[in-house]
Amino acid sequence: MLFKIFLTFFKIGAFTIGGGYAMIPMIKREICERHGWISEEEFWDGLAAAQSCPGSIAVNISIYSGYHVRGKTGMLVAVLGTILPSTLAILAIAMLFQRYAEAELVRKAFTALKPAVVALIAVPLIQMAQKSGLNLKNAWFPLSIAVLVGLVHITPVYLILITILYAIWEKRK
Amino acid sequence: MIYLNMIFTFFKIGLFSFGGGYAILAMIQQEVVLKNAWITEAEFVEIVAISQMTPGPIAINAATFIGYKRAGIGGSLLCTLGVILPSILIMFVITMSYLKLKKLAWFKQIFKRLRLLSVGLIAAGLLMILGHAVKDWYSVGIFACCFLATWIFKLSPFTMLIIAAIFGMVFGIV
Repeated sequence: MLFKIFLTFFKIGAFTIGGGYAMIPMIKREICERHGWISEEEFWDGLAAAQSCPGSIAVNISIYSGYHVRGKTGMLVAVLGTILPSTLAILAIAMLFQRYAEAELVRKAFTALKPAVVALIAVPLIQMAQKSGLNLKNAWFPLSIAVLVGLVHITPVYLILITILYAIWEKRK
Repeated sequence: MIYLNMIFTFFKIGLFSFGGGYAILAMIQQEVVLKNAWITEAEFVEIVAISQMTPGPIAINAATFIGYKRAGIGGSLLCTLGVILPSILIMFVITMSYLKLKKLAWFKQIFKRLRLLSVGLIAAGLLMILGHAVKDWYSVGIFACCFLATWIFKLSPFTMLIIAAIFGMVFGIV
């Protein structure tokens, strides 16, 4: 059973190319439909929690489902399975990269990869903005966060803590 | 000592990485480029590109890569552990109490506010690499094409980066 959990999450981890949201349908198919480890409703609850907690969605949902299937051991095995493919891949690339970073072809590839990365961030920024309930009245908030963190280089830590405290204060009763 | 500092830094990054991969870029950059100077600005942009072409979340990939660069395989494993440890601890608690928590008004309000915050954080990440990554007509053109390809034509980030890499190999001037 533990091995099956490991294998399933290894597969999920190996195919999470390009970020968390793309893999949600795949995780759901694997753990709800194929293995029936958790119900669909439990999955949506888990997903909501995974999105709201710090860390990557893939890792968080693996912790949630691993725990539901097999307690703490299941949880650790699921996490290990999820991160192992990327850790191994990045380690291999880091080793190769140190050797080939100065190669002309690699340098050339990065002349185009760098602006491509900016586009890669710009697109989810717009998608996130649409989903977050952004309007003219509250736009000052993300805008000031962008300036404070991106230009003034204030650490997001304090801003996150202040936001959390403010939200609690808003709903104090 | 560098090990301890690295684990602590990545634990902090993991603990405050709300809102998914892109929202955390600004924080990683502040910590590893500006504060500790473990890697340069140029290397940071390279790591982001590499992270998106390999499986796995950006924060974890960055931890593995930077850990290896500064302290070998041991360092990379420790940094990876550091960055996922907060997720494990917090998700564990939430998993056991989420159904109760989600009924509370203040709990919901936190995440409503944090969603808006992460829009700001993603924009901050964008601002921080913009000057370094887009600086001439060649890079402006590539940015525009990649943006349209992903935004309008829904090209996956992976495919888009592979095409960009090949384009750069052929037309790039070093």
